[in-house]
Amino acid sequence: MIKVDGVYKRYKENQYALADCSLEIDRGEFVFVVGASGSGKSTLLRLLLREERPDSGEVWVAGKELSAMPGWKVPFFRRNIGSIFQDFRLLPNKTVFDNVGFALEVIGKSKRHITTQVPQMLELVGLHDKQERFPDELSGGEQQRVAIARAFINKPLILLADEPTGNLDPENSWSVMGLLERINRTGTTVLMATHDVGIVDSMRRRVIELENGQIKRDQTRGVYGLGQSST
Amino acid sequence: MAISLEYVVKETSGNLWRNRLMSLAAILTISVSLALAGASLLLKQGVSTATSQWKGGVQLLIFMHPSATSAQTSTVEHQLKSLPEIKSYYYMDQAKSYQEFKQLMANSPDLLQSVTESQIPPSFRVVLKNPSAAPSVGSLFQQQAGVKDVNYNRGAINTMLHVTSIAQFVIVGLAAILLISASVLILNVIRVAIFSRRREVAVMKLVGATNWFIRIPFMLEGMVQGLIGAIVAAGAVVGIQALFQYVIQHFHVTILSNFLVSSHDVLMTELFVVAMGIIVGTAGSAFAVRRYLEV
Repeated sequence: MIKVDGVYKRYKENQYALADCSLEIDRGEFVFVVGASGSGKSTLLRLLLREERPDSGEVWVAGKELSAMPGWKVPFFRRNIGSIFQDFRLLPNKTVFDNVGFALEVIGKSKRHITTQVPQMLELVGLHDKQERFPDELSGGEQQRVAIARAFINKPLILLADEPTGNLDPENSWSVMGLLERINRTGTTVLMATHDVGIVDSMRRRVIELENGQIKRDQTRGVYGLGQSST
Repeated sequence: MAISLEYVVKETSGNLWRNRLMSLAAILTISVSLALAGASLLLKQGVSTATSQWKGGVQLLIFMHPSATSAQTSTVEHQLKSLPEIKSYYYMDQAKSYQEFKQLMANSPDLLQSVTESQIPPSFRVVLKNPSAAPSVGSLFQQQAGVKDVNYNRGAINTMLHVTSIAQFVIVGLAAILLISASVLILNVIRVAIFSRRREVAVMKLVGATNWFIRIPFMLEGMVQGLIGAIVAAGAVVGIQALFQYVIQHFHVTILSNFLVSSHDVLMTELFVVAMGIIVGTAGSAFAVRRYLEV
């Protein structure tokens, strides 16, 4: 599903965000990417979304090689990828309903399709009673659930999450993780960059640790900290 | 991919209303810039009308012998009619010429008394399409039977042509500079407006919106702003023109009356202003949103 092969990426001369980074993630996996700030987590996610191109090496996502993909194909590629972020990235001037519906509107779905799909999705994330609210009227946890609804409404093959619990209290963090697990169980590959030790340690999923742009550790049922467990 | 009309209309009107302060800034910039550019274009038209009226003065005088036969006179007249260089002409017979002579020489009674009507030469007063053709046309009639003399003021014609071409050049230059600075100013206002919405564009890109899907509402928004701004500017140009006309008529500023522009000129200027508004608004928005699409 995801294959990164010998990727180098630098923003400044002699300062690599990623250096010779290679990894492979199968369909349906749930993977945590951990590491200190500046270790390359965000760069990795940006490469997978094709917001950046690697300086060298190959990035394969959902069967497509991204570094050679022409710009006009990128929007169509992104429709297979759901993404959520620490800062939610909702449109402040649109209601909850319109924010989620926007992902369908963009790909040219009919109004009827939108009015049936969006309430179902909001039901799933537990916000069906807040359809007409605006993002700034919601708590952080609720906003992130709207973002998840938007990311998942197209039934993407892959969900990329960049520190989705970074701005949330533990209770909201766990409700977000619960949703990500449910999404993962439908067969969607989930890749989540995080700093949240508690979540990583208790979920016992595959953990990839990055350090200075290189993969330091790749454990199938790992924890956040170093060298404690491996299977 | 299909972009639904409903989406575009909803998005455009919503954005215009939500960003109404920015929209207003863009509209005002467009109106002021285009009103200035339009007014200067109208001034250019005024100058060209004025010069063509000055040029409309008689440029060529063909004096007939007082004793010229009517056959000779009509031959000259026939020839004047057929020449393509000639815009218009009229014939001053002896009686009229004598009247004119009396007026011109009113201060010299001695001279007046020494000349009788029968000694005054009748003349053709000729207006040319292009004053610079005076020497060549004049030479055609010089040797004609019955023609006493052909007269034109070479120096005056050249000076006038020179002065009006400089005036036109200066005003066209001024209008061009105003148009360029108007475009730059409008572009900048649109850029600022779109900069404040770059996150919105980023979110659209994130969920897989194509560039045209994002661009079209922005372009339509710019078009509406350009159109409204241009209509205001067109109104201002009409207002300036009406004020000008009022001043001329009510204060009898005869020197300015030469600058009057025809309603055709006003209409063409207005159309130009509206077209500029639409083009600058639409293209400016497309240009300004471009850099945020490159992700």
